[in-house]
Amino acid sequence: METVIIDYISQELVRDPALLPVADETSLLESGILDSLSLLQLVVFLEGRFGITVGDADLLPEHFESVNTICAYLRTREPEKQAAHG
Amino acid sequence: MGDGPAGRLLRNLEGVVYWAAAAPVLGRMPAALGYRIACWRGDWLSARQPARRAEIAGNLQSILGDDVSRSAVRQVTRDWFRLASCDAVDVKRLRHSGRALQRLVEIRGREHLDAALGAGKGVILCSGHFGSYDCAFSMLGASGYPVTTIGRWQHNYTAGISAAERRFWDKVQARPLRRHRTRPNIEPWPGRLDVATRAAAVLRANEVLTIVIDAPPLDCDKARTVEVPFLGREATLVPGVVTLAQVTGAPVLMGFLYRSADYRHQVLEISAPVPVEGDKAAAFSRCTAEVSAAISARPAHWRYWASTIDLASLGLVGAERDAPRLPELLPLPDDGLLTDRPKGSLAAPG
Repeated sequence: METVIIDYISQELVRDPALLPVADETSLLESGILDSLSLLQLVVFLEGRFGITVGDADLLPEHFESVNTICAYLRTREPEKQAAHG
Repeated sequence: MGDGPAGRLLRNLEGVVYWAAAAPVLGRMPAALGYRIACWRGDWLSARQPARRAEIAGNLQSILGDDVSRSAVRQVTRDWFRLASCDAVDVKRLRHSGRALQRLVEIRGREHLDAALGAGKGVILCSGHFGSYDCAFSMLGASGYPVTTIGRWQHNYTAGISAAERRFWDKVQARPLRRHRTRPNIEPWPGRLDVATRAAAVLRANEVLTIVIDAPPLDCDKARTVEVPFLGREATLVPGVVTLAQVTGAPVLMGFLYRSADYRHQVLEISAPVPVEGDKAAAFSRCTAEVSAAISARPAHWRYWASTIDLASLGLVGAERDAPRLPELLPLPDDGLLTDRPKGSLAAPG
């Protein structure tokens, strides 16, 4: 999961090569990698790739602070995803 | 009413009286008379604000150059003040169902909007700071379209005005516009991460999202800007609307509200979808070309002629034209009401 997200962010969202490589704990917000539009791109990617829907209430900075926090958030959504498929 | 501190105070006072007392009356008068009086007020302001008049004329000549004669500059400058005064009447005619304004506005290209909504992915309707663009958005809402706007209410972001003043401008300017919109404005500002996702939610609900795309970029957006041809020059703008369209699949339409020679009748012209596939800068330049063409055809409609600091931020005038902006005590509507970027006098975002 981490690798998939890092690859996407590195290839699609990082505008300044000086910010590469992106690590699990890189601050995506402080570094400026994530802004409003790139967050939307990331959310659309996560929804498509992991089969979840990110609601407005989940669009919190703490969920998207780093790849680690994104993965932690996605793991909290796992039970809902399984229930939806089960 | 000159350009000194006392003159500015009087100008602000006049603006308050105009919006709070005069414009509501003008908005209830027969349209021919109401807009005629608004034009007289515009002429009166033009005569009493030589510095602003000179700023508008200087920017027109600087950007349009030889394309515009001295007599045309004079006429455009006079019209700029008239149109700004007429905007207040437009806002007041949005009262109740908004029919008082709708009667005076012909919508051309409604079929493009209907067809785009028929596809089910929402519509991004772009404009510029051109004419009564905010009234155009609200009038579409009053016409039955679910409209939400990306843009800031200027009085909420102007530094140095009191809470009472903010409430005043909210009541006289923003509220009549807001009541015809489906959701609260989506107001971009540094640190607000949910702007694009809220915009996407509007589009996913198959609604109309309106935005003006000629705003100078915020500092936090400067890394995302592109250079696009604009008014014969290169302007620095944020192509966010193209990203939004590419991510959501929503079509991008252009819409411009322009005033007829009698000042009371207006036409809202809505275009067919603008192609936004492929390279972001190229796609965005197709959108800005439409704004540029609208301004070239009717220059008096563009709000930014009176704001050298904004034109400089756009990269359209050089530092030598960066005349100090006249400080305003209040966000007067004829000084770029409800523009979607902070003015130079605003406090830096935290």
